[in-house]
Order: sequence, then structure tokens, then C-alpha cells
Amino acid sequence: MSVSTIEKERAPAVEEGILIFIFADMCMFALFFITYLMERNADPTVYIASQAKLNQTLGAINTLILLLSSWFVVLAVKALKRNAQQACAVFLASAFCCGAVFIVNKAMEYSAKIQDGVTILSNDFFMFYYIITGIHLAHVVGGMVILLVLFINTRRGKYSANNIAAVESGGVYWHMVDLLWIFIFPLIYFLGA
Amino acid sequence: MDEKTAFRHELISAWCGPAFLISFIIFWVILGQNFPNPSPALTADALQARYAENLGSIRLGFIISMIIVVFYLPWTALLSTQMARIEGRFPVMAYLQLLGGGLTVMVVSFSAFFWVAAAFRPDQDPATTQMLTDLGWLCIDLQYACTTLQMIAAALVGLADKREVPLFPRWACYVTIWCGLSFLPASLTGVLKTGPFAWDGILSYYIPYACWLGWYTIASTYMIKEVNRRIKASEGAAVTSPSLSRA
Repeated sequence: MSVSTIEKERAPAVEEGILIFIFADMCMFALFFITYLMERNADPTVYIASQAKLNQTLGAINTLILLLSSWFVVLAVKALKRNAQQACAVFLASAFCCGAVFIVNKAMEYSAKIQDGVTILSNDFFMFYYIITGIHLAHVVGGMVILLVLFINTRRGKYSANNIAAVESGGVYWHMVDLLWIFIFPLIYFLGA
Repeated sequence: MDEKTAFRHELISAWCGPAFLISFIIFWVILGQNFPNPSPALTADALQARYAENLGSIRLGFIISMIIVVFYLPWTALLSTQMARIEGRFPVMAYLQLLGGGLTVMVVSFSAFFWVAAAFRPDQDPATTQMLTDLGWLCIDLQYACTTLQMIAAALVGLADKREVPLFPRWACYVTIWCGLSFLPASLTGVLKTGPFAWDGILSYYIPYACWLGWYTIASTYMIKEVNRRIKASEGAAVTSPSLSRA
């Protein structure tokens, strides 16, 4: 796609309330990150030693999965703009499946940690690890519920090129879930390792 | 009851909002020594000493808190009425909001009650003081879900409000939902004693409480506006058709 065609596309037809919600949510995560970094600076050795125990491979796989799911959401919106509801539903379902894989992956990661005796109370790094990734996971679950509703409604023919706000709003939310992970992954898994 | 009296009751209930807000900050936050609040990491002896140093202020703050917290009730009742007008004949969300608001008052009230009990015998075993303080904080910090439901109910009705001048603007409804969800990290106060998610931490105390009172301020503003709008509309109708208003 050339630059000019990107510029021609209008901004997503998202209602301002959704954007305010997303902005507030991102501010909350920004606060999580700032407190994490401040506490980390106070005691970097514990953080770096604990960080080494994380499974970077699983984290990287989850990053790719979420990026893929965001791409599916983009394709779903594009399909709907062409009034291709069938394709839109397939892409939404694909994004939903990516979310499911993300959750399974995260469950494996958590259970491996718990089996090693690492819990939320082990030290401050793992407190942040469990809480930040846990709250993000709750966002993934919420996003999957939204994707499921959008999928069902698309199958019923509720949306079209002229009635796209719901799909675009849900899409923007899902992109935020992805974006947050893009920050979480380096901050928790890699920073200064 | 004539319309004028009904409007007066509505207006009083609406202004219970600011009354709650101001008195809660004075008595619960300031006199109750909750800014900053005691850390869960304090030793029993240090906590006991904290009570001894501020005994009069803490007693006054929390005893009065249990009285002024009921300003929340008329305000909740008014919000339910305003929601019911939007919902129509079967106002499920208005009832839910009413329950959520009523139970919120009990949660806040019981926390202050535990702290009054903690301050009741200043020379008791420090472990008892510590336990009563713990009970108060865990009571208020873990039982936020009723308030979350109250807020979500109000937001859902606000979003479905299709009148020309809605009760709440749409942005306020989304902010309300987000504020209600911002309480969730407070559940971690049940486990953690230090850090930002302990009950004296930024993410389990300062932000969720600021969100709660922030929502309350926004909602109060629009509720007072709505009551004033209805009073004005009714006065306008009375001027144009005096015979109708008398009937």
C-alpha cells in the first residue's frame, strides 16, 4: 500500500467515549510501568536476577501471537469496509483464536513458575510480574469477549460498510491490548538483562 | 405530595453529594489520619503508638465518618430515581444502583467502626490493635465490588439515555466504567504488605479512592444539573399554562 492511500483513509469511526476509556486504561498501565521502574531502580540486583528466571521464549511467542491477532483485526475491519461480512467474521474468529493461544501460553508460563515455587510473594519483581501480566491477561479475556460478540453479530449481518463503529471500536481496544504487551514484554522480560 | 416539595427533596438529595464529598475528606481522610494511611508493614507497637499520638483526632474522625457517610444514601436514592426515569417501567439497573450504593455505605461504615474499636482501649495488647486495623482496611479494600456494580449500572443507563439532554454525557459514562474497574488492584491488599499494591500503595489506595471520589464528583455535578433543569422546565410550564400546574 502506498503512502497516499494510507493518508486517504479516514480516522476510525470510534466514539469518543471508547477513546477516553482506552486513554484512561493506558494511563493506568503507564503508572504501573513507572512504579515498576522506580522500585526496580531502588533494588536492581534482585530484579535482574529474578528476570533471568523468566521464559523469554514463551514471552516472545506471545508477542508474535498478539501482533498476528492485531493484523487479523485490521483485515477484519478492511473486509467489512468492502462489505465482505463472511471474510470479516473469519478474521475476527482468527483474532479470537490468537487470544486463546495467548491464554494457554500464559497458563503454561504461570504454572511452570508456580511449580518452581515462584509466587506473587516471592519478591517484588515477581509481584510486579504476576500483577502486570495478570491485569493484562484480564484485558485479553475482556477483548476476547468483545471479539466474540463482534463475530456473532457479524455472522448475523448486523454490521456493514455503513455500520462499522462497533467493529472499529472493538478493534481499537484489541490494538491497545496488543500495544500494552509490546511495552510489558521488554520491560518485564528483557530490561537490563 | 405537591411537585414543589418533591423537587425540594430531590435538590436536597443532590446536594448530599457535595456534602458527603467534603465531610468524607475532612473526617475520614484528614482527621482519620488516612493521608497518608498507616502501612500494613507497620509493627504492632508502631501502629499502637500511631493511635496513641493521634487518639482524639482518629476517634473524632471515624465516629463522625459513620454519621456523614449516610449522605451517600439520599444521593444514591436520587440517582436511582433519575435512572428509573430513563429506564421506564422496569428499572432493573436503578434497583441495582440502589443496592450497590446502600452496600457501599455499609462497607465504608464498617471500616470506620473497626478503627474506632481499635482506638477504644489505647492500652490494650498491640496485637489486638493491629488486628482491628487490619479488619478495617481489608473490609473497605476487598469489598469494592458492590461499588463497581453501582457505577457500572449508572454508566449503562447513562449510555442508553437517548433524551435530547441526557443525564450524563457519554464520556462520563465511559470514565465511570473505567473508574469502577480501577478498584480491582485493591484485591491484592488481601495478600501484600509492601509496595504499590499494598493498602497504602499508590495503585491500591490513592488511585482507586481518587477514582471513586472523582466519579462521585462528576456524577454529583450532572445530577444537580438535571434537578435544576427539571425545576426550571416545570416553572416554565407553570408560567405558560398556570391552569395545568394547578390541576
